Amino acid sequence: MIELRGVSKTVESGGQPLTILHPVDLVVPAGQLLSVVGPSGSGKSTLLGLIAGLDTPTTGAILIEGVDITSLGEDRLARLRGEKIGFVFQFFHLIPSLTAFENVLVPLEIAGTAGAAEKTRALLDEVGLTDRGHHYPSQLSGGEQQRVAVARALANDPPILLADEPTGNLDTASGRHVIELLVEVNRHRGTTVVIVTHDRELAARTTVTLTMRDGKTDTADPAALALPVSGVSP
Amino acid sequence: MRFILNMARRELRSSWRRLAFFFVCVAVGVGSIVALRSLIQNVRVAMTAEARTLTAADVYLRTEQPWTDAVLRAVRERLAVLPNAVQTETIDIVTMARLPGDEEIRTKVVELRGVEAAFPFYGQVVLGSGATYTPALLENHGALVAPDLLAQLGMGIGDAIVIGDVAFTVRDVIVTEPGRQLGAFSLGPRVLVAHRAVEETGLLGSSSLAERQTLIKLSDDAAVDPLVDDLRTDLEEAFVAVGSYRRTENRIERNLTRAESYLSLIGFVVVILGGIGVWSVSRVFVQQRLPSVAILKCLGATSGRVLVVYVAQVALLGLGGALLGVGVARVALAAVPESLTEQAAMAAGVATVSTGITASAMMQGITVGVLVSVLFALVPLLDIRHVKPLLLLRQGQAAPAARVDWLRLAVIALVGAGLVAVAGWQAASLEVGVYVVGGFTGVACTLHLVGRMLVAGIRPLAATHRFALRHAVLNLTRPGNQTRVVLLAVGLGSFFIIGVRAVQSNLLATFALELREDTPDMFLIDIQQDQAEGVRGILNAARVSGGSGAAPRLIPVLRARVTAVNGEETVIEGRRAVRRAGFGREYTVTYRAQLEENERVVAGRFWDAEASALPEVSIEESLHDRGIKLDDVVRFDVYGRTVEARVTSVRAVEWDDSRSGGFMFLFRPGTFDEAPHTYIAFLQGPAEAEARGRLQRDIVTQYANVSVIDGLEVIKTVRRVLHYVTTAITVVGAIALLAGVLILVGSVAMTKFQRLYDAAVFKTLGANARALAAMYLLEYGVLGALAGVVGSSGALLLTWTLSRHVLDIPWRPAPGLNVLGVVLTAGVVGVVGVASSLDVLRRKPLATLRAE
Repeated sequence: MIELRGVSKTVESGGQPLTILHPVDLVVPAGQLLSVVGPSGSGKSTLLGLIAGLDTPTTGAILIEGVDITSLGEDRLARLRGEKIGFVFQFFHLIPSLTAFENVLVPLEIAGTAGAAEKTRALLDEVGLTDRGHHYPSQLSGGEQQRVAVARALANDPPILLADEPTGNLDTASGRHVIELLVEVNRHRGTTVVIVTHDRELAARTTVTLTMRDGKTDTADPAALALPVSGVSP
Repeated sequence: MRFILNMARRELRSSWRRLAFFFVCVAVGVGSIVALRSLIQNVRVAMTAEARTLTAADVYLRTEQPWTDAVLRAVRERLAVLPNAVQTETIDIVTMARLPGDEEIRTKVVELRGVEAAFPFYGQVVLGSGATYTPALLENHGALVAPDLLAQLGMGIGDAIVIGDVAFTVRDVIVTEPGRQLGAFSLGPRVLVAHRAVEETGLLGSSSLAERQTLIKLSDDAAVDPLVDDLRTDLEEAFVAVGSYRRTENRIERNLTRAESYLSLIGFVVVILGGIGVWSVSRVFVQQRLPSVAILKCLGATSGRVLVVYVAQVALLGLGGALLGVGVARVALAAVPESLTEQAAMAAGVATVSTGITASAMMQGITVGVLVSVLFALVPLLDIRHVKPLLLLRQGQAAPAARVDWLRLAVIALVGAGLVAVAGWQAASLEVGVYVVGGFTGVACTLHLVGRMLVAGIRPLAATHRFALRHAVLNLTRPGNQTRVVLLAVGLGSFFIIGVRAVQSNLLATFALELREDTPDMFLIDIQQDQAEGVRGILNAARVSGGSGAAPRLIPVLRARVTAVNGEETVIEGRRAVRRAGFGREYTVTYRAQLEENERVVAGRFWDAEASALPEVSIEESLHDRGIKLDDVVRFDVYGRTVEARVTSVRAVEWDDSRSGGFMFLFRPGTFDEAPHTYIAFLQGPAEAEARGRLQRDIVTQYANVSVIDGLEVIKTVRRVLHYVTTAITVVGAIALLAGVLILVGSVAMTKFQRLYDAAVFKTLGANARALAAMYLLEYGVLGALAGVVGSSGALLLTWTLSRHVLDIPWRPAPGLNVLGVVLTAGVVGVVGVASSLDVLRRKPLATLRAE
């Protein structure tokens, strides 16, 4: 479960404070498939980065599986991400010097998981890239790279998967493939999936959609209106 | 751990091309250390292997005076308790040999050695005829001579030579002979005769310079050092040197140690230059790896683990580079021409020198290579800690670093201490380590400051409308610029390169003094007072010069021994105390009213020309360092007469300038005018062999006691050895220079990765390649010139410090070299900056922009 209490983010811009995320309260229950939509600069990615512990909020508290991550140091946060959060980026962010297989293997090695190689093979199998494991990212198509990224995000079987514009850099067919993959992950693994997207098709496949504008959650959106402070309802 | 090793391996696999330069830097540095150190260690090994042959004994006692009863008794008592210990006597004397016959003009200074039947304990006397040496060859006034004597005197085996009062028959020639003193230059061909026969020559008068040796052979090697220690204690009061084949106080051995340290330091400097390359590569590498680091952190890796991945990678690269360096050293040494190793062997006085690499040099090279790689890469790698995974969401958003990064400061301090330790280890002197790393740090700080000042100073130029100049200035001043990096790498590089060149030219200038043409090559000793006028007459008639065209001078000399310093007032009294203070040997002293060309007064006041009845003495500065001060009263024993003289001045003597000789104690005229003394003379003999021979004959036939030492051969040998040393230093300097330039070129070239993106954007906006090239030329030219100025000034300081405090040679500034250094640095950096950017200039902008 993800819980945000009065979380905001203010940065300095040209010597002036600029609030890029106004205080937000939000509860995403375990197993939810949530999309966050809104125009560029509305604060979607900021929200996602805060949930992943990639950034620190200016105010408020973020609880992941009951743990307040706002008070954790960098190293504790890194460990928490390794165990509980998988992340999929718009630009894939695979390590270019590693093969597809090794990219998926890395989180397992960091966690010191036994049988890492078998698990990696199974994950590549799951995303339909059984034969592409020995290829480097530069030898894969965008869609394939994103599927490797999904496999990597799932390596340690995290309860939460966060995706930032996962189809934003893909052609329609590849995008569709990735959408299916994320829906499957939520359905079959029971993973909580939060997707930031501009993609209406993708948003339509999620169970709940949260709309953001100018750093605020948009209450005019019917789906967002359905979100009570204490939880998210379909 | 598995993660760390796997990641290090994978990263190396993918980025080895970009890290190849790192590899080369380490390899060049380690190769230099291993090759230089191995060469000198091989010389040392060869010397150690031949040590027993060189002394012909396990233990020896040596004196310039007849053995006293006390000495003989001490030796007898010590050997009595050692089973199977045997001893034998030798005696050496430098004297004249001539052919029989009153009209015979052919004379020659020889080194006469008298040996007993047991000689030698070790090694073999190898004879030219191939016959086996037996003591019987020396019986009945038989002599074995060096082949050059036969050639020089035009005689053959079976002929006679006269030495002193005895005519000897030459029975064979000596090819090699054990017991030749290591490193001692030959004053003349060797003549080996029976010990008893030397006494019969009548040459062993009271003032003759005969050296007596007792050679001892022991059955137990473990007894060698204790016996030497015991005898030294027993004979503390006597003027006897005790040593063994393992002696460490040997001058050549000390010089070799010094040479090894000097060469290792040069090797270390090359490694430091390599370190700069390593630093430059690591910095660029970290920049390029920022996204990967962010990804790893996003996947759960802590900063510490990621840092360890890259440190492990650097250590592996360092190890690989070091191993390559060892290979390079192996190949380089194998390629050394045989003539050079023969010269090295000759200079060291050994038969052959191996050109293999030694295990110890290899281990040291590898250790230094890995250490320097890690030390230099550590600071740039620390930036990994500041990489936030947020970078993956928002490009270019670097988290602000803490205002004071204590860990970084601590690591910099640790790296500094580590470098001092490694430099000190390599130079075998912590002091040198501190100087080198201190110079390095000083120059680095200055370069940092100059970099900041430059950025502030040229900022107004950005207002110009000239595209190339405007953007060169903007490049130098923008945030994240490479001004500091290039300044630091190039400045430090030119500091070391110019520094090494300058030290080298100072060393070579010192040798040049010894190689000059007006060095005296003939010496007369033992001229009695009543013979002085006669000898002067002969010299004037032969029109010989005393060097620099001046008439030869006769220098009065006496033998004096220091028996006390401030004898009546202080506790330093008696031979034991004096000996402990290091003044114990007998000195040749002189008196004169003026300073020689190679002397200058460093303390006190030198007397005026008038003689004085009050004894005054001027001491050489090393005596001052050992405790004799101005106004001290030194008590001398001069031929049994006690003389007390007050120290009124301290002189620095340039010993390398041998034209006027050098004296530790110089007296004011007056004290010894009436005392019995002899004269010596330094002169440049006639150039033609016949005239030299005639002059020697004229002196010897009229004054039989006067020894004429023809130093021409010695000087030729010295010149040959110095020529070898000069070549070695020049070669080593050239290696350092080449390695340094190579590494600098690479370091500058590495910065091109930072320009790819800018160049792409400029091209997209319509800038042509020529405008970009002009921009780079300006940018790098300015940086190169500045780095050259700072590096060159630092080098000036380094040369001064090393010359004055470490190498103990006079400092000679070389302004031409410094100016040339600045011009070349600016030129090289400008050209390399543009040349390395050629592919940046040619590259299509879209490929770069897509990659970004």
